[in-house]
Amino acid sequence: MDILYLLIPLSVLLVFGIIGVFWWALQAGQFDNIEREGERILKGD
Amino acid sequence: MLTYVNGPKHGVEYPPAMNQAASALVARHVPAPPAPVPSPSVGEALPLPRTDWLGQHRGALTVTDDFAVLDDPIEQETFTRALAPLEEGEGDAESVLVVQGMYCAACADTVESVLQHLPGVQRAQVHAATRRLTLRWDPTLTRLSSLARTLGESGYRLLPMQHALSVSERLRETRQALWRLFVAGFCMMQVMMYAWPAYVTAPGEIPPDINQLLRWASWVISLPVVFFASGPFFASAWRDLKHGRVGMDTPVSIGILVTFLVSSAATFDPSGPWGAEVWFDSLTMFVFFLLGGRYLEHKARDRTAGALDGLMNRLPEVCERQKPDGGYESVSLRRLRVGDTVRVQAGQAFPADGELLDGRATVDEALLTGESHPVSLQAGQGVVAGSFNLGGPVRVRIDRIGADTRFAQIVKLMERASTEKPRLAVLADRIAAPFLVFVLLAAAGAGVYWWQIDHTQAFAVAVAVLIVTCPCALSLATPAAMLASAGALARRGVLVRRLQAFETLAGIDAVVFDKTGTLTHDHLTLHKVTTREGASLSNAWALAGALAEGSLHPVSRVIAREAVARQPDLAPLAGHTERAGQGMQALRPDGSWVRLGSAEYCGLPPSMAGEHLPAVHLSDANGWIASFVLQESLRDDAVAAVTALRALGVRTWLLSGDREAAAQQVARVVGVDHVIAGASPEQKLAEITALQARGLKVAMVGDGLNDGPVLARADTSFALGHAAPLAQSQSDFIVQGGKVMDVVNTLAQARATLRTVRQNLAWAAAYNVVSVPLALAGYMPPWLAGLGMAASSLLVIGNALRLARR
Repeated sequence: MDILYLLIPLSVLLVFGIIGVFWWALQAGQFDNIEREGERILKGD
Repeated sequence: MLTYVNGPKHGVEYPPAMNQAASALVARHVPAPPAPVPSPSVGEALPLPRTDWLGQHRGALTVTDDFAVLDDPIEQETFTRALAPLEEGEGDAESVLVVQGMYCAACADTVESVLQHLPGVQRAQVHAATRRLTLRWDPTLTRLSSLARTLGESGYRLLPMQHALSVSERLRETRQALWRLFVAGFCMMQVMMYAWPAYVTAPGEIPPDINQLLRWASWVISLPVVFFASGPFFASAWRDLKHGRVGMDTPVSIGILVTFLVSSAATFDPSGPWGAEVWFDSLTMFVFFLLGGRYLEHKARDRTAGALDGLMNRLPEVCERQKPDGGYESVSLRRLRVGDTVRVQAGQAFPADGELLDGRATVDEALLTGESHPVSLQAGQGVVAGSFNLGGPVRVRIDRIGADTRFAQIVKLMERASTEKPRLAVLADRIAAPFLVFVLLAAAGAGVYWWQIDHTQAFAVAVAVLIVTCPCALSLATPAAMLASAGALARRGVLVRRLQAFETLAGIDAVVFDKTGTLTHDHLTLHKVTTREGASLSNAWALAGALAEGSLHPVSRVIAREAVARQPDLAPLAGHTERAGQGMQALRPDGSWVRLGSAEYCGLPPSMAGEHLPAVHLSDANGWIASFVLQESLRDDAVAAVTALRALGVRTWLLSGDREAAAQQVARVVGVDHVIAGASPEQKLAEITALQARGLKVAMVGDGLNDGPVLARADTSFALGHAAPLAQSQSDFIVQGGKVMDVVNTLAQARATLRTVRQNLAWAAAYNVVSVPLALAGYMPPWLAGLGMAASSLLVIGNALRLARR
């Protein structure tokens, strides 16, 4: 059970890491116009 | 220091998704849809420095804390206009601005009350759903920048109403909201994992050290939820606190803080007075649900604002003006002056109202009619700003620019309507405030009561009471529904001048039609001309044309048009006087009078008017000169509309100034229930009053030109067609396409709106009545309370948005 002392803090760090990745994706504009990406397939060019 | 830079952002595309359907319609006729970016050659030819451009073409615009941009006269032109003095001595200005930082309907009150107490502010009206502020202020007493700075101290920012700005601001707000939602959601999932062992094991089964480790981990993960994701709740609650008021977010904020503090105490001091119970899972869950609700609300609100912006965004940023040497230069729209000649390329929108110079053009006037189909125009006919040129390049001479264009009037009308607060909304707001105070007291009472029964339950119950109440649904119920309807109607070419009119229209039981220009086309056609023995036809036309020229009456317009076509040199007449609905009189150079009008007005025997067709007569002191017999044609959908009205249980009247026979004939064909013919404007007014005295709620449908007082007297009114200047229109609804059927559609929409408003209000009331006692009794865990409140708000917004789809 001692491994939990490593794994639980690690999971906390992982959460913050994932939040950081999402922040980057958001600021890069990936979520700005989600609907448009779906419509893109319908456009001819 | 608030500094942001608005540059050409990646992924910003306008109009937003909602208007893409409309754009697609236009695109069907246009090989290349109106591109917001000018072609490279246009860009090179541009004589202005880039910084003079508007919107996304302008490049970087930096707004700093001193709000200097609001005082720039060139910038102000887009969102401010001077008003004629109300009383002597004051010349006010009216500005439309965007308020940033509003989270719910109650914020609108705060902004209004802050602004209204400042010197120089005449009136401030905020619309919560679109975040528009209509500000009436005195430029001699204050500056916009100082108003903005004061409001900034209360936590709201004022921005000029420009699409480019509002787009990038809205984008930033959307990103921020999504960011908070993600943090809350992701942390919630992780906290739930840490909490899970405690739910599935018997007490004492988990070793105490591991249990403590899980609690610490939960605490750490909860920190960003409380201190970052819950920011909007705290910010808004703090703002209300500073103003000594209780707002929508006050109970929520107290709930979040109490839960967090109690759980933290239990984490670090399990043997302390707060017990060993932690609530991190409930806390993160209800924050996530509330933010989820807010986010979807925010999206819905963006769609409404986007619909307005989509309408306003139709004008091009630059246009090609003809230089004196015949070449073309690209100029900013603001440099355009009346009398300029501009060239409009295929697929582009006309920049201003003007007159077509070249042979013929195909134009899409969906802005006016709500229907996207090509209209053919000849040289000399007028084009309106915001309509699209579908054919080849055409030249246009500009008649009206900027705020004088019909386009600007439409936009202004819609903005005005959307900032108005309907009666039902005011009522709901008045109930919401004391209700919140009651909630705070109830939560405190419940906490104290449960403390004596069960320590561990006391916090959960108090927090649940704080979270579960949903006054937001109450406040949103009415404006959200009415605005969604107004947007849906605007897309079909029906403008709503007052949101309040929906309530009146839904309750009407009689529709009174004017005849000419309403059930029949507003343009008559000439049937035949008869002249006195020996009188010359060309002389008759010259006299009639000169008389008719000064009148806006539909019959006069026909006579004037026909006369100019036949007899370019009109007779020299002076001293025109018009008796409304009767005729015109003017004086010849020798002082003798000439009249054009009804047989009675011209002093002719009634037998002259004996035919079924409308006629006007020309006479002078020597008697009859000529008669012009006109014929009118029914509007295509008049019969269908009257039938549909009857199916809706509405009685119909025809109220006409015309002769009995003509009115009866139209009434018979159309199927109107009752006819009142030969009424003067005064009699029309009296007839409407008489109907109202019988207890009927009357909607008047007119052409908006000749029947202003009658339209104003009726309970609610429609102006059909676009003959009348919008700004002077007295009517509540303006049907731009000129289709009678749109009156029926608007009535159906108004009834649906009222039905939705009632559903929303009933839901909000029922929800609160049921959920608060449940929470007080301890049947509602905090997470369920959060879910309930979010779901209730969403239900109200979602129900309202159904109206936008109709």
